[in-house]
Amino acid sequence: MSLVEAQGLTKIFRRPEKDPGLRGSLKHLVQRRFKEFRAVDGIDLSIEAGESVAYVGPNGAGKSTTIKLLTGILVPTSGTVRVAGAEPHTDRMVNARNIGVLFGQRTQLWWDLPVRESLALLRDMYDLSPAFYKQRLERLDDVLGLADLLPVVARKLSLGQRMRADLAAALLHQPKIVYLDEPTIGLDISVKDRVRQFLRELRQDGTTLMLTTHDLGDIEDVCERIVIIDEGRKIFDGPLAQMKDRFARVRRMRLQLAEPTPVEKLAERLPDVEVVAGDAPTEVTVTFDRFTHTAGQIIAGVLDVVEVGELHLDEPAIEDVVRKVYAGELLRIPEPGPARDAAERSGERA
Amino acid sequence: MRRTLRIYRRSLGAHLRAVLEYEADFWILVVAGLLFQVLNLIFLSAVFSHVPALNGWSFPEAVLLAGTYGFVNGLGPLFFEGTWRLAGKINHGELDYPLIRPAPVLVQVVSAGIGMHGVGDLIGGGAMIGYGLANSDIAWSPARIGGALLLLAASATILLSLIVLGNAASFWVGGNHPVFAMTLIRTGDMAKYPLSIYGVAVRATFTVLVPYAFISFFPASWLLGKESAWIGLLTPLVAVYCVYLARLIFRQGLRRYDSAGH
Repeated sequence: MSLVEAQGLTKIFRRPEKDPGLRGSLKHLVQRRFKEFRAVDGIDLSIEAGESVAYVGPNGAGKSTTIKLLTGILVPTSGTVRVAGAEPHTDRMVNARNIGVLFGQRTQLWWDLPVRESLALLRDMYDLSPAFYKQRLERLDDVLGLADLLPVVARKLSLGQRMRADLAAALLHQPKIVYLDEPTIGLDISVKDRVRQFLRELRQDGTTLMLTTHDLGDIEDVCERIVIIDEGRKIFDGPLAQMKDRFARVRRMRLQLAEPTPVEKLAERLPDVEVVAGDAPTEVTVTFDRFTHTAGQIIAGVLDVVEVGELHLDEPAIEDVVRKVYAGELLRIPEPGPARDAAERSGERA
Repeated sequence: MRRTLRIYRRSLGAHLRAVLEYEADFWILVVAGLLFQVLNLIFLSAVFSHVPALNGWSFPEAVLLAGTYGFVNGLGPLFFEGTWRLAGKINHGELDYPLIRPAPVLVQVVSAGIGMHGVGDLIGGGAMIGYGLANSDIAWSPARIGGALLLLAASATILLSLIVLGNAASFWVGGNHPVFAMTLIRTGDMAKYPLSIYGVAVRATFTVLVPYAFISFFPASWLLGKESAWIGLLTPLVAVYCVYLARLIFRQGLRRYDSAGH
């Protein structure tokens, strides 16, 4: 069985529906009306031990709610969850020892206590032996530079320091699976790099990771599998490479031409393709859809007009794909194969 | 259970150490607590300068009563201060982390703070109890001493349970401040005077509905051998009931918790 198993996971929140203003509020007191809101809508997910999964989607897609359902913080409206064999919201204590959680937006450190005291309290809660605790602290100090932070009261920490201390708190008991909800939010580049480095090391140690993020760098650096959700539903689940292959249909070719050539001439020869002039008169960039054109066709087309000196084909970026999802342009998972063009077309919002 | 108590003790200890770092704060709070008890005393003396007794309660007996209430009230800030932050925690979705730790959520909530004004209440209330006992006519025996201590423990348990119960209402009420708990506990202030001065409705409310009468009035009545003193001996039973109720309501509330954001 997988480490994490979720089936038909659904969470419906009930929100009071009020007309605006004081009148609306008063009316609501007498006549209560509620609106149902499906934050997570029938998600199936299974994660094997040792996997690192990026959980991606626009704001409000249901990422955090999913994490809260998987960790047992919220009780699902329907559907089932099993994490390492335990049902998180009923076997809370058992589940707690298996998991580590970090919500990047909020700290788990006790606000008024020095970091050292917070970690000691967690040691007591997780029943860690003094030897194990010491060894873990040393290990975490190595990668997170914890020593300087230990005597500092949580509320005096900078954001970067806080995130490092919070990572230590989440990982102190060496959990099997770690959920990270936006672990690099608001961090500067150097701290971000450090956190990512740390996550990579965690993965190498065999820890299972699931992270939600808006930072695509996090995904490329840390994860091999990506799950994309939108409006509470899963729209892609597979290896990162496969996602690029399947969705990143736009290719960009930069050409160094033998002699200056007006772009109109090239565009005439290459219909349905975007041709843009570069900085120099001999430079030109061609952007094409790899489902309708091959790179060979483009080169052949250009060669009909002018000799090519150099060419460079840009790597597809996951940014392109994720941006499309965020913009609501990608709704269904098109299947690869002969029918993919049609599927892709119908998969796009008209 | 032992593990739970250890976690509670460690958490409270850590917060105590944190509070003690601010020396001025500590003294101000202690004095504030003390002042509150002195005000109670002044009020009582003002009343008793006009009447020799209040429904059969002499001045020292009334002081004993108010002192007991004050003393027990000091235990709240010292041992259960974190409970008052529950409303804010629910409102801000801050129970997320307690829910993913292998320790009872209630213990984590209750021990997440310490209020030093409780020390002032303990000192002030303790002194008033001392004065009351020294100037009242009590037939002391080992059984009476044991009984008094048992009733005091039971009365403290009732108050702490009521604090939990009142604050657990925030799971339903919402909002950032424990309005319901404040109202509930403040109403209890009436229990620092002899209950017999109130009408039947008030007496019934404080005996059955919200058992404030068991925090000071009935235990003190038993100790002083007042009318229907035997009711005081029910205090431990009421305490058990209150603990049960508080835990039940907290648990039910926790199931309603739906964090913040989504």
